[in-house]
Amino acid sequence: MLRGVLDLCLLAVMQEGPAYGYEMTKRLRGRGLSMVGEGSIYPLLARLERDGLVETYREGSNGGPPRKYYRASALGRATLADGAVEWRSARDSIDAVLGPFEVEVRS
Amino acid sequence: MSDFVDECRQEWKRLGVADAVANEMAADLTADLQEAEADGVSAEEVLGSAVFDPRAFASSWATERGVVPDAAGPGAGQVLTAERPMRMRTLALVAALAVVAIAGVALVARVSRSVGLVGSVHRAIPKPFVGPRAGIRFPVFATHGPGSELAHGIGILLLLVVVVVGLAAATIYWSRRARPNH
Repeated sequence: MLRGVLDLCLLAVMQEGPAYGYEMTKRLRGRGLSMVGEGSIYPLLARLERDGLVETYREGSNGGPPRKYYRASALGRATLADGAVEWRSARDSIDAVLGPFEVEVRS
Repeated sequence: MSDFVDECRQEWKRLGVADAVANEMAADLTADLQEAEADGVSAEEVLGSAVFDPRAFASSWATERGVVPDAAGPGAGQVLTAERPMRMRTLALVAALAVVAIAGVALVARVSRSVGLVGSVHRAIPKPFVGPRAGIRFPVFATHGPGSELAHGIGILLLLVVVVVGLAAATIYWSRRARPNH
């Protein structure tokens, strides 16, 4: 489940605008998510591209070398929409299970 | 960080990733790491635990991208099959050795057939031991001329070549397989 959620997170930060690898890492970190602890985003981005969930193009950035920019494709946006609904549903279910336990520990 | 990228390059080369694709991935990675360094962000913060295992990282990235030979997926069309030429060379070597071996065996067999039994001679056994007509017939074989000896020598030489080349190829093959990165 977590692996799919990480994909969703990448698709979500692309909604802010096309981004290259490190830029996406910065956006995730800016939201408090340091997802690279278990692995890099590069293989994930590669899989998203292979699955047609993102589109890529190359463009220079601030006078630096051309970077590979990623943006969500129509399929990627649809996947993000469906995935967000599923995630919220799963999150609510898990909260329902874990919530009382949390109260019990605190009391 | 160039060491990390260099290790990735070696892994992509080993996996048979096309040079153009490997160069592209290396360039993207280098640019990202340089920008992170300029921001004061460590490579570990960018790459996570992958920074400690560049080969696994490179392999995972190339596999997910579908640029590793024999990897399934839509990206498999971009694959440069570096292992395929190797297989073709191996097949060609085996075929050549087989031809040479057959030629060698044919030459040796031909010479062997030409040495046939053509008659026998009677050698009497001395009378003190047996009767007057007793004796032993010894077989007489045809001798072959210098041409046959040359053919026989060439045949043996060809077979030796097959054995030596085959042993050398097998040694190289197994030494490569014994290496951890192959």
